Amino acid sequence: MSFSKIIISLLSGLPNTLTLLVFSFIFSSLIGILVAWLSLQKDKVSRGIARVYTGLVRGTPPLLMLLLTYYGLPKLLSFIGIDSNQWAKIFFGIFGLSVGWGGYLAEAFRSAYLSVDKGQILAAYSVGMTDQAAFKEITLPQTFSIAIPNIENLLIGLLKATSLVYVIGLADMYQNATSLSNVNQGVFQLQIFVILAFIYWVIALGIEWFFRDYRRRYVHLNG
Amino acid sequence: MALLTVSKVEKSFNQNKVLKKIDFQISKGEVIVIIGPSGSGKTTFISSLNFLNKADSGKMTFKDKQINLASPKKDDVLWVRRHIAMVFQNYNLFKNKTAVENITEGLIYGRGLSKEAAFKKAVQELKKVGLEEKKDYYPSQLSGGQKQRIGIARATALQPDIILFDEPTSALDPELVGTVVRDMDKLAQQGQTMIIVTHLMSFARKVATKVLFFDDGQILESGSPDQIFEHPQNKRTQAFLSAIAEDR
Ligand SMILES: Nc1ncnc2c1ncn2[C@@H]1O[C@H](COP(=O)(O)OP(=O)(O)O)[C@@H](O)[C@H]1O
Ligand SMILES: [Mg+2]
Repeated sequence: MSFSKIIISLLSGLPNTLTLLVFSFIFSSLIGILVAWLSLQKDKVSRGIARVYTGLVRGTPPLLMLLLTYYGLPKLLSFIGIDSNQWAKIFFGIFGLSVGWGGYLAEAFRSAYLSVDKGQILAAYSVGMTDQAAFKEITLPQTFSIAIPNIENLLIGLLKATSLVYVIGLADMYQNATSLSNVNQGVFQLQIFVILAFIYWVIALGIEWFFRDYRRRYVHLNG
Repeated sequence: MALLTVSKVEKSFNQNKVLKKIDFQISKGEVIVIIGPSGSGKTTFISSLNFLNKADSGKMTFKDKQINLASPKKDDVLWVRRHIAMVFQNYNLFKNKTAVENITEGLIYGRGLSKEAAFKKAVQELKKVGLEEKKDYYPSQLSGGQKQRIGIARATALQPDIILFDEPTSALDPELVGTVVRDMDKLAQQGQTMIIVTHLMSFARKVATKVLFFDDGQILESGSPDQIFEHPQNKRTQAFLSAIAEDR
């Protein structure tokens, strides 16, 4: 079997891998921001919801999260009269990964927010900025900058976690590699997996490249 | 006529009484220097004047407007902050903003200037302190002295009635103190009303119209620089002055 044949076969799973990565990242970020916001509220109910969510999610292995979503979510949906039998598997993949990574991202945002130097906010108030202006101009951008290294790591972790969607029968790159190896009775196994590792590595490099500007901004906060 | 008067200012942190019924006033053009041991309440006091610290009780009269220090209206707080600027001990420059942006923020969001007008004004202010060429630098790329001079430019750009200085040179390397003192000195010569917490005696002697000695949440003694530094009446003032004299 030729190199190019292996690569073409693996890359046919790339759209699924990237779809999972991008959409799970978007939705988990939204969940993360919402949960972080809840965890920073004064009332106990909001904080309680946030704490239970992050606690449960962080204690659940991603693989289990995918299985729970795949088998559990249709049951939950049928309770409220929604039939999800025809829904694409990738939807459940994105859902499971988003719920899981939402917990991690919530923690990243929350701890970043809390580590913004209080003097920065005092200074903003001292020049006559309103709460809203101080938040938009100072607190929020600094929170993001502080969170960036964590977010980057979580995104790389998410990339690796996309390879777990084989448990719900989704054909991503990893799943393609496994079946290709099986079809060939494991003869090209090592080559296949080395090439697969290489592709993941290239995507990870792309992620690092994407974050380079943001990382530069983070540097300024440590001065 | 006093520009700013506060009376019976009180503040506690838990059981710890930090400010004990302080009465204070300052008139236009005055430079009041506050000295006193660490932990005596100097920072708490001056930051209660612009509501960065909310007092438990006390009254303020600023530009003929009366404000309750413990329960000020939101608009009054903003109004006061837009007329009383502050320079911090550890600069507190906005770390995510360049030097020039550090100055424009207050002009735009505090004073309501347009972006263009704010930028023009900010560059002028940087020119005045000789740091125009640093306008696009981030605070992390500047020395402590440069940071503090931008902190001063950020305050003066607002053309405030009063500027509060909280130990503006304490965090600086000794060789950088002079550059910051020169900027403050210049402001004093221009008639800027200022309240300065500092232990720089020679500077205080030169610019102060009045010196206050703070101890344990009270003003124990006040007078002209000559009275306080040469003829302190209170034992604690004497002890404090000889202690910091030994330092140098
Ligand atoms: N946010 C705070 N919480 C609790 N105690 C505080 C706080 N800020 C100041 N204090 C206490 O108030 C006292 C006066 O502090 P401060 O005004 O900073 O003194 P100074 O500026 O004269 O050194 C100190 O005992 C300090 O520990
Ligand atoms: Mg202090």
